[in-house]
Amino acid sequence: MNNVMTLWQTRKQEYWSTAVKYLRLIGNSGFLFAIYILFLFGSYYYGRFLEWLPENFPAVLFFTLVFAWMTARGRVRTFVKQADLVFLLPMEERMKPYFRSSLRYSWLMETGWITLLFLVLAPLYSDRIGQAAGPLLLVLLLLSLLKGWNLAASFEEQRIGDETTFRMHKWLRFFVNAGILFLLFSGLLLGAAISALGAACIYYLYFKKINGTLQWQRLIEIENNTVRLFYRIANNFTDVPHLKESIRERKWLSFIYRFVSYSRRNVYKYLFARAFLRSGDYFGVYMRLTFLGVIFILAVDLSWGRWLMGALFSYMTVLQMETLRYHFRTSQMPELYPLPEKTEEKGLIYWLKILGIVQVAIFTFASGNVLDGITVLAASAAVYVYVIYYRIPKRNSTG
Amino acid sequence: MERLLELKHVDGGYQRTRPVLHDISFNVNRHEIVGLIGLNGAGKSTTIKHILGLMEPHRGTIKVDGHTIDGSPDAYRRQLAYIPETPLLYEELTLWEHLEVTAMAYSISENDFHNRAEELLKEFRMTKMKNWFPDHFSKGMRQKVMIMSAFLLEPKLYIADEPFVGLDPVGIKSFLERMQEMRDQGCGILMSTHILSTAEKYCDRFVFLDQGRVLMQGTLQELQEQADMPGADLDDIYVAVTEEDTHE
Repeated sequence: MNNVMTLWQTRKQEYWSTAVKYLRLIGNSGFLFAIYILFLFGSYYYGRFLEWLPENFPAVLFFTLVFAWMTARGRVRTFVKQADLVFLLPMEERMKPYFRSSLRYSWLMETGWITLLFLVLAPLYSDRIGQAAGPLLLVLLLLSLLKGWNLAASFEEQRIGDETTFRMHKWLRFFVNAGILFLLFSGLLLGAAISALGAACIYYLYFKKINGTLQWQRLIEIENNTVRLFYRIANNFTDVPHLKESIRERKWLSFIYRFVSYSRRNVYKYLFARAFLRSGDYFGVYMRLTFLGVIFILAVDLSWGRWLMGALFSYMTVLQMETLRYHFRTSQMPELYPLPEKTEEKGLIYWLKILGIVQVAIFTFASGNVLDGITVLAASAAVYVYVIYYRIPKRNSTG
Repeated sequence: MERLLELKHVDGGYQRTRPVLHDISFNVNRHEIVGLIGLNGAGKSTTIKHILGLMEPHRGTIKVDGHTIDGSPDAYRRQLAYIPETPLLYEELTLWEHLEVTAMAYSISENDFHNRAEELLKEFRMTKMKNWFPDHFSKGMRQKVMIMSAFLLEPKLYIADEPFVGLDPVGIKSFLERMQEMRDQGCGILMSTHILSTAEKYCDRFVFLDQGRVLMQGTLQELQEQADMPGADLDDIYVAVTEEDTHE
């Protein structure tokens, strides 16, 4: 009995000690600072957005759908591993406390996410439906309880062998959630309470009665998906080993490869071009950040705000693109190549320059008038110049 | 005889305080296939890592075609093609691009590259997969990509670490035949393996490695004499000498 709980504790700690390492790297990367700045700007425009939002915006429906989905999504995180199929399978009967802890843990984490989202939406909430639906804290408490119900039910439903039936249950829960939440957000607290009671009965009368053994393979899959999402985010900031990213060929962009001619000096230009366009998320991140940058530059109507946005989005982009450098470090083969010194660095800088020129040009055009165009151009270009001519060479000399 | 690879009194390992290799000395000459024989953990892969320059010896010298890696890294690396035990492929490059980037790195002219690559693809029956990504390759196909990349360079010295793992019989045959062809043209080949029957058939000389030391080296006949086992095959000799070693 005790053993199972020690196992759970070790597993949790293992995960968190790796997670903290990655979180620290993300924190140090300057990304958080960029988020903070965005947050400041965001909160200013948020207020104006609320004023602009028409009176007849269906706030109740919006909140209902968002939080019905938030409560229905996600599953119990169990920290199981592939090898457990062999070693823990025989212990299934004795694993109850293990899974109970998993449920508690997941409930806590998920409540955290819901709280975060709810706080972000809080101004909208108090502006439009606050009076009718009651105080924030009460609603939050109810959301958390609903989440707990969903997690408990989702753990029971994972025993269902058939994949389609299994998936359908998630939608069923979504509709139950939507019903309860709609009553809640409309201010019909009594109705919400009664239907919640009904949901609790459903749990005991239906979900608890689902028979069948644990679907270990599915638990492992759920676990892997959760971890993969986190690692994929972390992978944008640092190199996460063993994260297998799928490759996309993107044939329509293959004309770009022709910029690199056949020559020993161009080996890394050749490799980086393919890494950027095909692997991981480099290309996607570049496109997204450029797009968001344009949106922000268009949305902000202060001159200094525009150049700040330009510089900010250029900085976020170049930070992510810089990690291309480590893309081939895990492979032994490039180390064996008889290449002149600094081929890697030159290859990286070559592409950063091209990406920089394209992005700065787009930002400049987005700024609308000549004067803002010039300042945005100067600010974004300065960021790229700093990274390409100062940061990267310096980093190389220190190791 | 011309020495292509020369290891002299090499000590090495991951940590200076705990060396894994002890006083390793052997040569690979032109026109020679040398088998580096040892059990799992005998130090074969570590020895190879030192030869490739991925690890630095604590003591002793390693020369490729007369060059040390510190003296002239380019000349050292250029003469050497490596076939790793586990295929190391770039997931984002197609088969053809693997060959192309390798040829670029080793300054093979574009013309030579095209001719050699087409020929290799045909020989290893991979022409159809030219534009495939490694994701769709089986273990054996991945290994073939590494083998083709090595042959493409036509270097003086080949280092092959357990090259047969995962290859199909036709692949093994193509590989060994080409190795012999290269030897006849004057290349040197160092091949680590624990498949002793194949080694016995194809290698000219053998280096027995055990717990990071060279136990014995020489031709099959020389080994039989040293072990005092006339007519014995490689398997028996290896088992006999390693047993002797652990009993001591």
